[in-house]
Amino acid sequence: MADPTKTPPRFVTTTVEVEGRTEERVVEVPAFPIEPWGPEAQLTHVGARASRVDGLLKTMGRAPYVTDVRRPNQAYAALVRSRIARGRVTAIDTTAARALPGVLDIITHADVPARTRLFLPEITYFGQPLAAVCATTPAIAEAAAALIRIETERLPHIMTVSEAETSETLVRPGLSHNLMGGGPKVVERGDVTAALATAEVLITREVRTPCALHSALEPHAAVAEWEGDRVTVWESTQGIFRVRDNVAKAFGLSLAQVRVICEAMGGGFGAKNNAGAHTFVAVAFAKRLGHAVACVVDRPGEQIDTGNRPSTWQRVTIAATHDGQLTAIDLEATVPLGIAGWEESPGDIYHELYACPNVRTSVRIAYVNTGAMAAFRAPGHAEGSVGLEMGLNALAQALGIDPLTLRERNIATHDQRRGRPYTGNRLAECYAEGARRIGWTSRATRTASAPHRRRGFGVASQVWSTGGGPPAYATVRLNPDGTAEVLAGSQDLGTGTRTILAQVAAEALGHRLDAVRAVIGDTATGPYNGNSWGSMTVASLTPAVRMAAEEARRALLDAAAGILTVAVDRLATHEGRITVRDDERSLAFGEVTAKLGNVMIQGHGSRGPNPDAVGIVTTGAQFAEVEVDTETGVVRVLRIVAVHDAGRIVNPTLAESQLEGGIIQGLGYACFEERPLDVRMGRPLALGLHDYKIPTHADIPLIDGHFLEGADPQANTVGARGIAEPAIIPTAPAIAGAVADALGVEVPDLPLTPWRVLAALQHAPQRHSP
Amino acid sequence: MRLTLNGRPVDVDPPGETTLLDFLRDHRGLTGTKRGCDRAECGTCTVLLDGAPVYSCRTLVHRCAGRAVETIEGLGTVDAPHLLQEAFVAEDATQCGFCTPGQIMAAVAVLARDADPTDEQIIAGLSGNLCRCGTHPKIVRAVRRAAAAMRTASHG
Ligand code: FES
Ligand code: FES
Repeated sequence: MADPTKTPPRFVTTTVEVEGRTEERVVEVPAFPIEPWGPEAQLTHVGARASRVDGLLKTMGRAPYVTDVRRPNQAYAALVRSRIARGRVTAIDTTAARALPGVLDIITHADVPARTRLFLPEITYFGQPLAAVCATTPAIAEAAAALIRIETERLPHIMTVSEAETSETLVRPGLSHNLMGGGPKVVERGDVTAALATAEVLITREVRTPCALHSALEPHAAVAEWEGDRVTVWESTQGIFRVRDNVAKAFGLSLAQVRVICEAMGGGFGAKNNAGAHTFVAVAFAKRLGHAVACVVDRPGEQIDTGNRPSTWQRVTIAATHDGQLTAIDLEATVPLGIAGWEESPGDIYHELYACPNVRTSVRIAYVNTGAMAAFRAPGHAEGSVGLEMGLNALAQALGIDPLTLRERNIATHDQRRGRPYTGNRLAECYAEGARRIGWTSRATRTASAPHRRRGFGVASQVWSTGGGPPAYATVRLNPDGTAEVLAGSQDLGTGTRTILAQVAAEALGHRLDAVRAVIGDTATGPYNGNSWGSMTVASLTPAVRMAAEEARRALLDAAAGILTVAVDRLATHEGRITVRDDERSLAFGEVTAKLGNVMIQGHGSRGPNPDAVGIVTTGAQFAEVEVDTETGVVRVLRIVAVHDAGRIVNPTLAESQLEGGIIQGLGYACFEERPLDVRMGRPLALGLHDYKIPTHADIPLIDGHFLEGADPQANTVGARGIAEPAIIPTAPAIAGAVADALGVEVPDLPLTPWRVLAALQHAPQRHSP
Repeated sequence: MRLTLNGRPVDVDPPGETTLLDFLRDHRGLTGTKRGCDRAECGTCTVLLDGAPVYSCRTLVHRCAGRAVETIEGLGTVDAPHLLQEAFVAEDATQCGFCTPGQIMAAVAVLARDADPTDEQIIAGLSGNLCRCGTHPKIVRAVRRAAAAMRTASHG
């Protein structure tokens, strides 16, 4: 029995998974227990197809993006970038630029705090910022930037993993080795060598995946304005609090001196998780000039210096029994990371997705002289799943087993990496529902639209940790007129954060949805929340919102009980009214709050710890139907069926939008997207959206996206898990599988451009269309 | 020079090399038209010039002398949205929303040409407008929905 004299600890530690990495975190235990909403919970607003609350503003062109911020006397900055990949700056001549009418200021290395790490004279990649100019208009700033002369001394650059491994030269100062960790990162479970030696069936495949660019249509942008010793930064970001940290550190400020605002942002996909050179440039100029300065990255800058999904080479070997039980998976992979970044391993998914007792991944991650990587929607998993799934397809063929059947036989029932159960994994249902929707068993009857075209089908699966976790905070307050506000220092990337926070608060309060408004995107008004990354926002923040709303509701009911002179436990709330059990009387929220006047009802919510010793994942399967033109090599994706299990879906409309978005990005990754490198000159070649092709309206297949009904009450009190990243993981391998099915030959490298398809066809067995 | 901006004549004297996009955003404060690339690649800057969609980032404002420019700000208001704007909300045809004004302006031109366009015509009409959030299926649905609503409105 609990000792009543001892209060339970208020702060404990818990495990949180971010983008595949596990972190230990301190967490505040919620002040009172909340019964999770299980699958049977009768909910009004949560689960409803509520309209996106800021939708109309966006269609009006009135959503306030950072690029639309206009402050008094606002000036505009432009960056000057390196035109070589490695070397050093020997001289900078700003005379001509300064002479241009409208130019206000120019800064180089000596003019910025060292901790910004801006304009370093050692050049380590093409596109590195070396100077910046500020002018009265963006056009003048750009013209002036072109007039700044920078003389450099060129040094040999390193662009590939093999060069990085063998070269004596380090790609940048401060490294002890060009390989991250000094060698391959090997992770092994079981005994792979022994299992391979006794394999009944064995396949090996090599695949390459391209370097992909996030390409959000809104560029990276910041506006900075100082008031005394405080600075306000408007930033297009996935994490206002992280940007606040970055700015405070770089400029030696206290956190209280920095305010970061992001009301609307035009897409991030992982590339907008931190302050960037543009942020520091805006802050530095604004301080020097005494008025607001905006710095917007231009499109070539976006392409070369705001992050990317690195390319990979993967060699996968899979062993299985004759009846298709996996016995060993062995991966060797390389990743040219760029000049900086974190360990984004294509190996992780090999350990997780399919049941297999012996798995070894050996990944060499090399620093090279190209722009730094940045997390890009399902970093690591999106790349790794291509090799793993293509390996599985090859195995299915070697075994003479249907590729779907092979996957169904190898579902991972628990978290194999950590030896713990999942709170739920309904992948088997996803396979069954997806197969039904695409007509998997009757697919052979679907014929191509012309004799020179071939039809094919593919399937792939996905797993991604989506438990979210603390810290995440929210405040819910009631106004004197009975309307409610949710305050949270989070941000809406286009995912619908504002809308779902209002839905959860309305549900927990028992309020009308139109009477609840979410106020987010400002470090000065909302309590701390982490970045919107890792598919974490819903599972992290909505439980905190629920708790804040429950606390506000308790206070409201206490006040109502006094007015009605009844016991609190006889009161209930529904759609903005307080009702009394066995009594006709009822009160509108506004009647109670009006009586209180400006005495505020406020609830505070914090996200509690994650459950111990369980894995929380979203799983799913996607099926692709394609047609390949054997004369032109053009791949046409006709249909994608996607079925995922993400626990409770707070808003099916928004979830479907995000799912379709992930699928379409995955289609681009499979079919078009590739940042080529001129290895000899050390420069990336796709400097715009014409030479880096993302999907257009004409490329979009029929998409049938579906979520299994249910909830995950073990995961958190709302029962929801994330969906952003799960959406993209299986798309490319499902399409690649379908293309191989159509052609009867694999196209080993992505993207599946016409020339790759035609090259693969030359090796295809002769096949005649019926 | 004089041009008609969202139905109203305006007299202006911008420097010769000013693009229509810079003119709208930086001179007139009409920030509904977005600058996604400034190099004729993305379509976020789409406006109508005498009813035809153009990339305003590649249109010199001097080319607009005596002509009619329509931007998203001229289309509808929060209290009285255009049917396309209503349809975009109803179909959730906006995620981050950065491409949305451009998509809608291109769609206005599609519907002006044909009151009952096929999906192929809609897709062709919007082919110059990128969307990185992958909202395409819902955008096409929204245009179809708006077309139906506009036909009903004009018959009713
Ligand atoms: S801004 Fe004009 S097309 Fe991109
Ligand atoms: S909705 Fe984000 S770019 Fe289209």
